[in-house]
Amino acid sequence: MGQADGFLKYDRNLPEYEKPEERKKHYAEFYKPMSEEKTREQAARCMNCGVPFCHNGCPLGNVIPEFNDAVYRKEWKYAYDILSTTNNFPEFTGRICPAPCEGSCVLGINKPPVAIEHIEKSIIEEAFKQGWVKPKTDIQRTGKTVAVVGSGPAGLATADQLNKAGHLVTVFERAQKPGGLLRFGIPDFKLDKKVVERRISVMEQEGVVFKCGVEVGVTVSKEDLLKSFDALVLAGGAADPRDVQIPGRELKGIYPAMEFLSQNNARVSSLKHENHKGKVVEEVLASGKNVIVIGGGDTGSDCVGTSNRHGAKSVTQLEIAPKPSEGRAPHNPWPEFPMVLKTTSSHEEGSERAWSVLTKEFVGDKNGNVSGLKVAEIEWSKDTSGKHIFSEIPGTEKVLPCELVTIAAGFLGPDHKGLLDGMGLAYDERGNVKANTKDYKTSIEKVFAAGDMRRGQSLVVWAISEGRECARAVDIYLMGESALEAKDASMLAVG
Amino acid sequence: MIEKQGLYDPAFEHDSCGIGFVANLKNKKSSKTIQDAISMLENMEHRGGCGCEPETGDGAGILIQLPHDFLKQECAALGIALPGFGEYGVAMTFFPKDAEERQQCKDLFVEYAHRLGFKVLGFREVPTDNSMLGASSKKVEPHIEQIFLQFLDSNDPEALERRLCVLRKYSNRNIHREMPSTNDSFYISSSSYKVMVYKGQLRTNQLKPYYKDLQNLNMTSAMAVVHSRFSTNTFPKWKLAQPFRFIAHNGEINTIKGNVNWMRSKQVLLESTNFTVEEIDWLMPICDINRSDSSNLDNVIEILTLGGRPMAQVMMMLVPEAWQHNPEMREEKRAFYEYYSSMMEPWDGPASISFTDGKIVGATLDRNGLRPSRYCLLDDDTLIMSSEAGSLPVDESKVIEKGRLQPGKIFVADLEKGRIISDQELKDQICSAKPYGRWLKENKLNLKDLARPMKKTNAPAKGMQLLQKQIAFGFTREDLISVLEPMAKDGNEPIGSMGTDVPLAVLSAQSQHLSNYFKQLFAQVSNPPIDPIREKVIMSLFTNLGSQKNILAETPEHCRQIHLETPVISNGQLDKLRKLNDGSFKSYTINAIFSAFDRPGSLESAIDEICANAERATLMGCNILIISDRNIDQNTAAIPSLLAVGAIHSSLIKKGLRTRTSLVVESGDAIETHHFATLIGFGANAVNAYLAGDTIRHMFEEELESGDVSIKKLLANYSKAINYGLLKVFSKMGISTVQSYQGAQIFEALGIGPEVIEKCFTGTVSRIKGMRFDDLAKEVRIRHKRAFQDTSIDKHLFIGGFYQWKRKGEAHLFNPDTISLLQKSTRTNDFKIFKQFTDKINDQTAQAMTLRGLLQFKKGATAIPLEEVEPKESIFKRLASGAMSFGSISFEAHSTLAVAMNRIGGKSNSGEGGEDEIRYAKKANGDWERSAIKQVASGRFGVTAHYLTNADELQIKIAQGAKPGEGGQLPGHKVDEWIGRVRHSTPGVGLISPPPHHDIYSIEDLAQLIFDLKNANRAARVNVKLVSEAGVGTIASGVAKAKGDVVLIAGHDGGTGASPLSSVRHAGLPWELGLAETHQTLVMNDLRSRITVQTDGQLRTGRDLVIASMLGAEEWGVATAALVVEGCIMMRKCHLNTCPVGVATQDPQLRKLFTGNADHLVNFFTFLVEDLRLEMAALGFRMVNDMIGRTDMLEVKYNDPHWKTANLDLSPLLYKPNVPASVGLYKQKEQDHEIENVIDRKLIELAQPAIHDGAKVTGEFKIINIDRSVGAMLSNEICKVHGGVGLPDGSIDIKFIGSAGQSFGGFTTKGVRFTVEGEANDYFGKGLSGAELVIYPSKESKFVPENNIIIGNVAFYGATSGKSFINGQAGERFCVRNSGVTTVVEGIGDHGVEYMTGGRVVVLGKVGRNFGAGMSGGYAYIWDKWKEFASNFNNELADLEAISAEDAAELKGLIEEHVQHTSSKIGKQILADWDKELKNFKKVMPRDYKRVMDKLKAESKSKVQSSKVEVG
Repeated sequence: MGQADGFLKYDRNLPEYEKPEERKKHYAEFYKPMSEEKTREQAARCMNCGVPFCHNGCPLGNVIPEFNDAVYRKEWKYAYDILSTTNNFPEFTGRICPAPCEGSCVLGINKPPVAIEHIEKSIIEEAFKQGWVKPKTDIQRTGKTVAVVGSGPAGLATADQLNKAGHLVTVFERAQKPGGLLRFGIPDFKLDKKVVERRISVMEQEGVVFKCGVEVGVTVSKEDLLKSFDALVLAGGAADPRDVQIPGRELKGIYPAMEFLSQNNARVSSLKHENHKGKVVEEVLASGKNVIVIGGGDTGSDCVGTSNRHGAKSVTQLEIAPKPSEGRAPHNPWPEFPMVLKTTSSHEEGSERAWSVLTKEFVGDKNGNVSGLKVAEIEWSKDTSGKHIFSEIPGTEKVLPCELVTIAAGFLGPDHKGLLDGMGLAYDERGNVKANTKDYKTSIEKVFAAGDMRRGQSLVVWAISEGRECARAVDIYLMGESALEAKDASMLAVG
Repeated sequence: MIEKQGLYDPAFEHDSCGIGFVANLKNKKSSKTIQDAISMLENMEHRGGCGCEPETGDGAGILIQLPHDFLKQECAALGIALPGFGEYGVAMTFFPKDAEERQQCKDLFVEYAHRLGFKVLGFREVPTDNSMLGASSKKVEPHIEQIFLQFLDSNDPEALERRLCVLRKYSNRNIHREMPSTNDSFYISSSSYKVMVYKGQLRTNQLKPYYKDLQNLNMTSAMAVVHSRFSTNTFPKWKLAQPFRFIAHNGEINTIKGNVNWMRSKQVLLESTNFTVEEIDWLMPICDINRSDSSNLDNVIEILTLGGRPMAQVMMMLVPEAWQHNPEMREEKRAFYEYYSSMMEPWDGPASISFTDGKIVGATLDRNGLRPSRYCLLDDDTLIMSSEAGSLPVDESKVIEKGRLQPGKIFVADLEKGRIISDQELKDQICSAKPYGRWLKENKLNLKDLARPMKKTNAPAKGMQLLQKQIAFGFTREDLISVLEPMAKDGNEPIGSMGTDVPLAVLSAQSQHLSNYFKQLFAQVSNPPIDPIREKVIMSLFTNLGSQKNILAETPEHCRQIHLETPVISNGQLDKLRKLNDGSFKSYTINAIFSAFDRPGSLESAIDEICANAERATLMGCNILIISDRNIDQNTAAIPSLLAVGAIHSSLIKKGLRTRTSLVVESGDAIETHHFATLIGFGANAVNAYLAGDTIRHMFEEELESGDVSIKKLLANYSKAINYGLLKVFSKMGISTVQSYQGAQIFEALGIGPEVIEKCFTGTVSRIKGMRFDDLAKEVRIRHKRAFQDTSIDKHLFIGGFYQWKRKGEAHLFNPDTISLLQKSTRTNDFKIFKQFTDKINDQTAQAMTLRGLLQFKKGATAIPLEEVEPKESIFKRLASGAMSFGSISFEAHSTLAVAMNRIGGKSNSGEGGEDEIRYAKKANGDWERSAIKQVASGRFGVTAHYLTNADELQIKIAQGAKPGEGGQLPGHKVDEWIGRVRHSTPGVGLISPPPHHDIYSIEDLAQLIFDLKNANRAARVNVKLVSEAGVGTIASGVAKAKGDVVLIAGHDGGTGASPLSSVRHAGLPWELGLAETHQTLVMNDLRSRITVQTDGQLRTGRDLVIASMLGAEEWGVATAALVVEGCIMMRKCHLNTCPVGVATQDPQLRKLFTGNADHLVNFFTFLVEDLRLEMAALGFRMVNDMIGRTDMLEVKYNDPHWKTANLDLSPLLYKPNVPASVGLYKQKEQDHEIENVIDRKLIELAQPAIHDGAKVTGEFKIINIDRSVGAMLSNEICKVHGGVGLPDGSIDIKFIGSAGQSFGGFTTKGVRFTVEGEANDYFGKGLSGAELVIYPSKESKFVPENNIIIGNVAFYGATSGKSFINGQAGERFCVRNSGVTTVVEGIGDHGVEYMTGGRVVVLGKVGRNFGAGMSGGYAYIWDKWKEFASNFNNELADLEAISAEDAAELKGLIEEHVQHTSSKIGKQILADWDKELKNFKKVMPRDYKRVMDKLKAESKSKVQSSKVEVG
């Protein structure tokens, strides 16, 4: 299988990007095509491990060595067949996943890991190109109906799976277009919206009904839904952003990252000026402004890239945590997810980054607009119980000038107000909808929950994984058994 | 005698022996013949065994001609008037001791004798003296009487003989039935008018004192056959002693289960003019599985001989020579063997058999020649045949011939005709008695010649239909990629590495293939596995279809059968069979299907139905039954093909119909080798794997369309791979033909319930019970349902996950979680993380993955404080790291492990690749890279006197968990300069380890090797490594009796650097079973206190160690886990040399990536022992020794048993033998190695000036065959002082006169020169480490040296350096695995220079078959005067070359040296006419070796040139 010594012959290689100054001028995806031969070389680096840690590291359980081998052998269709048994939307994860698989790739012990994500994307794009991804028209219907609330990755995966199992699925989305965070959160330059639309179109042709601009609990009552559907899956995401509650927060020009990103995505797609929650919002542009992004994660990085495309005067990204090391720390060995310094394409496009920075106060101008952010450097240590604590370094306080601040400090959990509170659902201790990963049942009969709404903020790949598992649970609930693929349970299980 | 209990089963017993006979060719009766035979027997004491008490032997006996004069005299005194010789018979009978019981027996016997037409002339109590017997022998001593019987119905002595046989069998059967208590105490040793047997549970030197008759010089005979038995247990029965009535057997019939089963069907068809129908009925049963293999063989020989065939012909029928691949064999002989193959499958296994009917006496050797057999003829007509030369000292001046029996040859002395009949004359006569060739031509059909039907019956399955079938029959993606693809593409069996860590089939949470419940058995110690590649001349795959006939007759119709070249048949071939319907052949298809809907009992009733079908069809004359599962659909599922064939085979055997028909399996579930092996092993004659074929067609669709490959080629490759795999499976049990493997049931079932075993696999060992029919049905239905489920969700194949961890695949104990926790904990020295690791391993409540996972500690133990548990330092001593060779793993990985083990005081193991001497000295920082355990494996790489001296323990690796019964191969690319040096081989040239140790073909051979090693290093423990399988306990008892200090029971799950996937997965058993059986058997035999028991196999946690101790181990080995600590991430790519973490690779680039560290290993072993101590404290144990065998502290987890495990019965595992408190439960006493009085002690004394003062010493000693391993101890002393360098040549120059015992010159080091005047036995120069050995016949002898044998088999095995000159012939396997010795010899037997990697061999005489197999180094010069060498030469790895001038000079020098040392006549002749004789020489040169040597030459040349350039 594969090429036994491929990893000794070839180095890790990824498609080249357009130069930052070029790509900054547009919102389109900016990697250059890579030849089939080069991609096969990358696949040849896979060692077909006796214990494929990547396959374990992938939240979906993608059978990575097998599709790598198929690509190496030029058996693209077979690669696609293998990939689609575990992943409904490789075109999404192949673009925007932080790739925990690569973090746990065995080759990563002492060499750069296999370019799994690139291979994944190559397979699915080849599949679309060849027409292998086509709507299934001969689905035998069970006569059961399921409503899915939310059309983010979790909702889409749930819907896709349940539809394949023969149930009639209706997806309710409060925004103007389906896709949730994929549509409104992630910038086009990382995930072109045509890619999302391409998939949704296939699903629609297969019979999934999308009802957008419909807010369950408001536009349509939960009672109606429970009456007209045999099951209801809540996949509304963790949309409640974590705020930075410091003096001056009321000043204008300070936005949760999702507000900033969603209105921009709508603009790029020439849609109504609404946010990801279907609410009309004001236009926010970073053009000519000093921008500060609070939060050093991927969402923050998206704010950086977007601001640069707006033509910001400067972009600064702040992080309260200390600067990660370049390589793995001893307490974070392989195959754990590498907590190392990550420089994204957006960072390459120009930004200042600072770590161990405490944000103390927003400073405003006379018009109530934000004009600066008072920060101080901090030092991290551990208290007697081993908890990480920080202390401010005296004399480091300063004010950073800014006219636009985006807060990308993560999410607290699902929006409780409205549907969830209205239904009287039980929450877990972190405020997420309470349901386990065995049957995905909430505290209310025939209501299920999946994705960030159930597990709290997480990755797209986790959302898809939850959606698939939840769909299987719903299928079992409806039919007594399920022929849908599970993530861990073998189809040969003796029960 | 001990009955079946716990895991012990008397059926597992083995024995092996010394045999021999003395005869007077002219049939002159004398008491001397008897007395000589007894002395010979007494000189083979070391080939026999004794129990825990020295006075109890394993058995000894003698068979003589009926001493009519003596008996007449004795009887006269008793008032019994004996008629003339030939008019009466004598039944030598064991009766019960109890007088009342005895009288009952006698009354019954007399009644039966009368019923069968005998007059009982009287009884004579055989005078015995039991004063010297050991208590256990005495306890079961019978009362022995001779019964004199006259036959009233006929005057024909042969009719009398036949009727005596009938009487014996009839009375035996009926008395045991009437009085079951006499099962062991009533027994007739012999009943004949011609011969008589005296035998018992005696030591060899007790036979004569016990039987007073044997002391009486009035007792005379012209021949006497003797036998000394070495049994694996200490409770043999008197009746198991040999000789039997016709034979004395040294060896083991591996296929005994199959042979006995087949006899059961054959006996139904018996008819003979020599016996009436009634008599035939009285003779039944011919065989009985409860008797020993030798006893059954004796019974078959008896019926065939009395049925009217000459004895020699009977031997040819039962133990045929290897005829299938011998182009040199005469046509008539081949025809004879082929004809008889249609009647009788070989009784296969190592066998040296002495046989006699009182008029002739002879001997034969199996096709592989695995037992020694030497003879000597004196000028006074005395013929002596024995397992060892010199066991009966003779006047050398009277010797006219010395020879040996060769593989497959028969040797008969016809005492009535007064001459020896040679193999050729004998066989010519027998083979031309009937026109066997014509009979075959006219009757036998070849499958390939049969007409092919016009239309194919079945089109290949495609698309969804194919997928559904694949799912239903359990195909996985892994099967396709890892198994079928390499087979179809390259015709090879897939190879893998590292051990298996998946659950046993019965514990698996996934639906399993039925074959996975069956584990392949393999040969260890009591018989050798075979190398099917290098020794393929003896292997055969052909099989016959059709019906068999009466084996007491021979007619042309007997061979009216269809010949198949292999049991793997194509669709086209099956179609041919399907269409057969004529007078001779008629086929009938049985649909092996059952209801797919869950109804209790449906599978079992379907099985009853197919069995009834098969029976009906057979009775109607259908002689080819096709068992097919093609007709499955949504409603009907397939009966697992193994279940179907097993059931039909068993039921036909029970009905006596089996030989009337043949079974062909047409199955979708035959995918890999093991599936075919189980099908054939449980009765199939041929197998068609149609779905594997369809799958291959589908997999290669594109290549087929483009015409890159043809389907014919792909399928041929697949069947080639399966055939090759089958040979490997047979050969690991020492079986060489598929015919004998068929139905031989060489498997142990694990997790199959008794009702299934009884109906489908009758007689198969299944010790922990398990699945019932409904459970098996359920497993099938899980797959079936997935396949035919009505859903629009895309179906696809399952992922598999046996050979690699996969998320939805089979569970593995080493998985991403456990590997990373183990690495993290040991690298950060964090015991808490280690506990997370152990919790994950131990937490098998959700799914038990191992047998120990089903166990828990009993509640209620009183915990003690941790401080009271013995300290970790004392426990460290009990730890060993696993045997991994330098070569399979990198120097870094190997030496780091050694350093860590030495730091904690445990023992690391060198593995089988030798060890670099630089590691023997401690480093400046105190670290020591020396491995405390030095392994001695079959390849003997780098095993020198110096290597053996530098060890605390010497481990004989009999088998390896990952591939028991198989050899190994280190590919050339892994043999770099360093490894080459350490292994004494050539860099770049691949190395082969043979499957067997060529000096261990039996238990007494093992005793000899232990004796060798004990001589080579008195301070080291000798450890024998076995692999768990049914019966390993009895082998371990044999090891204890052979004086092993330690026995290691390895689990089937041990690692490997390279092994066929099917072996990793399907051979061997978990250590839990083997260990418990070993402990129980040793305790029952009171041998446990003499030997340390060690176990290994995926041990990882303190709990594992505690359970191992409770099941009987006081020491433990850890390998895989230690490698993981060193960085191994279970890539399972060791065989590819691409290990990305530098552990199992020799690639310098990858070795740099090694990050292992001795500190991490010390952390690991400390954690492991701390974990153990915590468990011990919780259980209240202070000392490890207190835990040994404490199975009472264990119980089975009963909470919520899964349906698959609900019927498992682990009580045999937890069984505690009921023995007195005096019986030790762990090692308490040292073995008596009997090395106090060996000749070497004198040699050492003599050699002191040479060793210490550089003086030269000389000496002269008498030597006899009981002086064994001469030179080993002396060399040990030399090495202690002079290391591997030794002394200057000839420093110690000793002459011996007489017959040297085994292993003469074994491991003898440089500076020693031994000269023998006389002869020597097996293993001459074994492991020679630099010494010179010279041997020539007695100066007084008259025979021609070059025509006579002078040294035995397997000379210079594993020798590394030295020189030897042999004035005479050597036996089989001369210079096997020689890597450096230069030797001149005057003729050798079969398989010469096998696996040789270095050294020079000159043969000035005839060479046996298969010369040069597996030879990868060194070279040989053959004097091919007879121009027949080419046909005996195996050219797979080597070529024949002309002699160059350089060669000629070297050769001439060696012959001159030979003449100088031995005065060889032939040597002188050759030198006298050198220019002419030189043309008769050929040089044998291994191809790879030549390539490497040429390259080296070229390199050194260019170096010289370049240096010249520089100078110039």
